[in-house]
Amino acid sequence: MSKTDVLIIGGGLIGCATALHLARAGASVRLVEAGDINAGASGQNAGSLHFQMERRFLENGAALADQAARIIALNRLAIDEWRGLEVDLGVDLHVSQKGGLMVAETPEQVALLEAKSRREISGGLATQLLDGDAARALCPALGPDVLAASYLADEGHADPRALTPAFAHAAAEAGAVISTRQHVLSITRRSPGGFDVAAKKGDEMETLQADQIFVAAGAWTPAVCALANLHIPLFPVALLMNATERTGPILPQLIQHVGRRLSMKQAYAGNVIIGGGWPSRLAQRPDGGFDLNARASIIPLSRSGNLRAAIDIVPQIGALNLIRSWTGVTTISADQLPIAGAVSRVPGFYVAAGGSAFTLGPTFARLIARVMGGERVEALDVLSPDRFNHLNSFMG
Amino acid sequence: MAEHFDLAIVGGGPAGQAAAIALQGLDLSIAVIDEQAQPGGQILRQPPAQFAVRLWLPGRAYDRLKAQTEHFGRLDRVSWLGRHTVIEIARDGAHFALLTENALGVRAITADRVLIAAGCQDLAVPLAGWTLPGVYTAGAIQAFVKSQQYVPGERIVLAGTHPLQLLIAAQIVAAGGTVAEVLFAQPISAMFRAVLTKPLVGLRGSGNMLAAAAALRILRRAGVPVSFGSALQRIEGESRVTHVILASGRRIACDTVGLNYGFVPQSLLPRMMGAKVRPAGAAGGFAAVHDEWMRSSLPGLYVAGETTGVAGAPASQAEGELAGVGIGLDAGWIDMAEAGRQTRRARSRHRHLQAFARLLDTVANPLPWFPVPEDDTIICRCEDVDYATLAAQSGGGSANAVKLITRCGMGPCQGRNCEPSLLRMLDDRGLTSDPGFTQRFPARPIPVSELADPG
Repeated sequence: MSKTDVLIIGGGLIGCATALHLARAGASVRLVEAGDINAGASGQNAGSLHFQMERRFLENGAALADQAARIIALNRLAIDEWRGLEVDLGVDLHVSQKGGLMVAETPEQVALLEAKSRREISGGLATQLLDGDAARALCPALGPDVLAASYLADEGHADPRALTPAFAHAAAEAGAVISTRQHVLSITRRSPGGFDVAAKKGDEMETLQADQIFVAAGAWTPAVCALANLHIPLFPVALLMNATERTGPILPQLIQHVGRRLSMKQAYAGNVIIGGGWPSRLAQRPDGGFDLNARASIIPLSRSGNLRAAIDIVPQIGALNLIRSWTGVTTISADQLPIAGAVSRVPGFYVAAGGSAFTLGPTFARLIARVMGGERVEALDVLSPDRFNHLNSFMG
Repeated sequence: MAEHFDLAIVGGGPAGQAAAIALQGLDLSIAVIDEQAQPGGQILRQPPAQFAVRLWLPGRAYDRLKAQTEHFGRLDRVSWLGRHTVIEIARDGAHFALLTENALGVRAITADRVLIAAGCQDLAVPLAGWTLPGVYTAGAIQAFVKSQQYVPGERIVLAGTHPLQLLIAAQIVAAGGTVAEVLFAQPISAMFRAVLTKPLVGLRGSGNMLAAAAALRILRRAGVPVSFGSALQRIEGESRVTHVILASGRRIACDTVGLNYGFVPQSLLPRMMGAKVRPAGAAGGFAAVHDEWMRSSLPGLYVAGETTGVAGAPASQAEGELAGVGIGLDAGWIDMAEAGRQTRRARSRHRHLQAFARLLDTVANPLPWFPVPEDDTIICRCEDVDYATLAAQSGGGSANAVKLITRCGMGPCQGRNCEPSLLRMLDDRGLTSDPGFTQRFPARPIPVSELADPG
């Protein structure tokens, strides 16, 4: 029997970072992870630090773009968060904030860049519009088809392999107890407050008692929340990423595309990582629905399309060897914004998941820890799970 | 538009050939895909057509295989895709989609059924100095000798636990090379003990025993010392190997070392596809699991030869035959009675050969004799990850978790070489059933431009 102030379910970036902040604030913290630390999207994503508004928010109409613009305030917090992270954790996270270029190849895309930039500037994000030659002056590897780019000096990339283990290590140092390969089987509310959680590691059963529960289980979040009889409307998404062999420095910046699915960066070791939101195919359960525990499969058209986009923007990529393609599974909500905060239907129950959580995860964790400590944090309002409260009218 | 075949066979060695031959006379289109230019697999590595190699692979052990390769070459309706590397095999609706690459670029093939008979590879064994120029796997030296009568070194030491190194040493001598010494880490008593527990099985594998005896005679005549209980500890040299040092402290001058601690199945493609595999044995690696007709756990996918476990060329031939008939049976080209009749002999041969292979595994068991790497010994050569780094990490977590933290296995070889070493380290820590690295696309590195949409 373990009894703590907080039980965190999920050993990814957000779970481990939140464990650190709560433990530092003096709470007793237990974290359980069904697999290994950093095994999910936290360790499998492409490591972009992207603060410009994403293509996906711009291509579905003005209303959605307006709503997405509200996340800019969080992006500004995240920029500062990343600047201090390596010092705070005392670990080399291979953070590189040498700027990011979101490129356009057609006049329509240039117009989209201009509209995007206006929104960002009014939100306090200092993006700069560059013509093709100015963009090439910054990043000579860009090809002749780049007509324009919006530049944000704070963007870049970091090492997803290093960040979450660093948080986990620091959390443990601060007193959090972390167990891996332990599965949560049930979540029961206690009267007047708190929770009993049954968990299993190997053949060993354990009851974990906690005043607060925080679920940060990525794509598995809805399933974990279902144990508490709650709907968390997140949908799994399988995304393709590709890595080339190592090569000499060719890309100092993060490269994204405003009109095509593309993100590209050169990781510290020299490999070029190519992604940008191309779908892989989730495995399916024989009885219908997706099987998150089976490997997603690559869609050949995604792969060829992603690599085409990469070559169109940085032609010399074509000559490099591809050494690995893989799929990470993240989630998306109905309005595309992540879900992070208290579930007011069940007092003491908190959740954070829903994508963008490499760039924003450290910030989510810092803010969630404050919310769980009883503070009101306005910056998180836009992400509150309570915007889907109606789904839980008959649940809890 | 992808070219379509009734059957695609990956590997033109003893197993792949036998499968194609078993299906001869049926009106089937078969593609046989192999990285080598010519059929034969590693066992019959053929010299390039323009080379005249005198007395290429003499010896009775090779005659049967040569005859089969000749037979295979006469088959109609078999498209030989030599120098093609399979990059990916994926299920695509009712059939399989194969992506292959050759000098001209990527080529897409579809097939109703696929047989993977991809053979095995030498186990890479890290020890101090193993990354120096002049260090090979013994199999690599053998490949040079077989295919071009080229001996890569002036003074060669072979070291390990596998009896095959006797044959390789004899082949080097026959090709005019100099073998300084053949070193077995295990004492000869351990080898005899293993044979004596199963004398009948040993007798049935007498072809191999005779080949080993013949090799020993050649080595004795050439004055090549063969020592037992002589474990290799370090390989030393500045810019190239100059000598090896044994656990006993003895030093042997040489410019080339061939390591021979065993072989692991080539099971990357079945693993990429999600077919069921099992730990292959003491040397490490994973073997594809199959039923009595060589069906894998995935419908339409068959496996044969050393992809299913290392048991030598004759056993691979038998498995190839079973797979070919099994494929015919499943497709309705051969009925059950006929299938049973056709494979009776192959089955009994296979049973005996498997028993001998298990005996050989015991004789050659490298587990107690692996050299102990030093802290700065590189384990993952692609990413320069050393032993101490892995030792610090492998206390908990899966091979995939260690890969993510250390980059071990993240390079161009995708862990083919370092995976067995890492799994042995995990094993020592009680993590005994790790499934190894997730095998990712592509099976071999390939230029980005060849995979990109033509635009």
